[in-house]
Amino acid sequence: MFYKVLQIVKKEVINNKYFIITFSNSDMADQCHPGQFFRLKNQQQNFPILPRPFSVYNIQDGKISFLIKIIGESTKNLFETKIGENISLHGPLGNGFKLVKNKKVLIVSGGIGYAPLNFLCDELKKADNEITFFHGGKGSDDIFSKIIKIFTEDGSIGEKGLVTDRLEEFLSQNQIDIVYACGPKIMMKKIYELCKIHNIGLQVSLEAIMACGVGSCCGCTIKIFNENNEIIYKKVCKDGPVFDGYTVVWDE
Amino acid sequence: MADIKIKTGKMIWKNPVTVASGTFGLEFAELFDLSQLGAIATKTITLHPKKGNEPPRLAETEAGLLNSIGLQNPGLENFIKNDLPEYRKIDTNLIVSISADSISQFGEVIQALDRQPGIDGYEINVSCPNVENEGIAFGTNKEVVYNLVSQIRKNTERTIIVKLSPNVTSIEDIAKAAEKGGADVLSLINTVYGMAIDIETRKPKIKNVIAGYSGIGIKPIALQNVYRAAKVVKIPIIGMGGIRNINDALEFIIAGASAIAVGTQNFVNPLASLEIIQGLKKYLDEKKVQYKDLINSVNF
Repeated sequence: MFYKVLQIVKKEVINNKYFIITFSNSDMADQCHPGQFFRLKNQQQNFPILPRPFSVYNIQDGKISFLIKIIGESTKNLFETKIGENISLHGPLGNGFKLVKNKKVLIVSGGIGYAPLNFLCDELKKADNEITFFHGGKGSDDIFSKIIKIFTEDGSIGEKGLVTDRLEEFLSQNQIDIVYACGPKIMMKKIYELCKIHNIGLQVSLEAIMACGVGSCCGCTIKIFNENNEIIYKKVCKDGPVFDGYTVVWDE
Repeated sequence: MADIKIKTGKMIWKNPVTVASGTFGLEFAELFDLSQLGAIATKTITLHPKKGNEPPRLAETEAGLLNSIGLQNPGLENFIKNDLPEYRKIDTNLIVSISADSISQFGEVIQALDRQPGIDGYEINVSCPNVENEGIAFGTNKEVVYNLVSQIRKNTERTIIVKLSPNVTSIEDIAKAAEKGGADVLSLINTVYGMAIDIETRKPKIKNVIAGYSGIGIKPIALQNVYRAAKVVKIPIIGMGGIRNINDALEFIIAGASAIAVGTQNFVNPLASLEIIQGLKKYLDEKKVQYKDLINSVNF
């Protein structure tokens, strides 16, 4: 874990909703595991106060990239920060995905949920897994590079509908060993229900409003079933953000 | 180089900078050597483990942070077994923050901790706004504060720090009651009552509805409480509430605080407390002023 103030070395605008910012620090990059995140903030900006958590999108040649969706003030501040200007990075934080080798893997993302799965996909490929990648978005501007099977709600690109619409059929016709998912909670809940029917392991990446990022403040807790099926609180920042989909309390 | 050592109760501090209970933990040791701090305050410990409040527990506002954690902690026994040995390894003062739901339970916790080596002081949290019938019920009544502190005084020789709430009608009365009861130090302020609403759903942003408000927005409130308390007690004060940097810290010291604690800012910049220690030395050297002469030095 590090806390460093680094210059933005590269900034790519994908469209009016998404951009990618890149930092160069090989010590930090070497520690990153898929599913882990950093807390980013332009410390020149007083508001919003807290750094915001962003999953690692890509690691390459000692560089760390984040795919960011412009949603509120924090992401707008990051978007407006120019190449050469400073951002504080706190991380890598959290547990990350459990990786597999030589397996048939399904990755499912919705919208900005694509970010951690991009890095995951790279690492899974290196470990000789056979990967199918489903992705859903509202429209064509929610679509990213690695996707094999595309769904959009407005039908502007790929198949019209929700990413989960064809999962049932896919899981019935294909032998899948494990599913990784990140996206809206309603999407992940649906995936969980399908995985349960087909008895497939599921890892999901969750989010919560977060303060310390390291497990000290207990602010970002979510409800999880323990081994005795009792509901307990777990910290998204430290116990997660990746959880076994079967332990998440989906009906909230 | 400026001398910034201080003494509060029986505690000798290498510098007057600590962290506010609940905003810090052993996890920060991955980022810096925690022995550089003047003291470390643990998250509040209760006799039994506490699950904490229903999420969502956090909401950010225009000038601060709302929280309703509800004193989630592993309980006294687990703290002694798992956390205390790790804290003990850090070469600085350890302040264990404690809450309980009765005077006798406070006594029980103190007695158990007093048998453990490596603890320098207890912070009596009589001011958490996020637990019903606990903490703040004690902290808002001067007779109760006096009774509680004098009972705890009988149970320990160690430094007793009483953490005060700003959510009271007279901070002077509560501060004096704690001092009369035998407190060695006061720490203030705890969070201010706060609330936020989502205008789309009309739901409170915090599940528990009323939360504790911290961060830069409460700094003026904290500062006047420290100033007022410092006028009526002789014991030292640890000042806190919205301190982000050396300039904020200096205001608290000038207002009457002998030491300061960084809270919410630990979430923004986990190295803020270290930067304040450096900034304090620099300020004293530049102004050619002794630290003890800076404390409680408001000019009119």
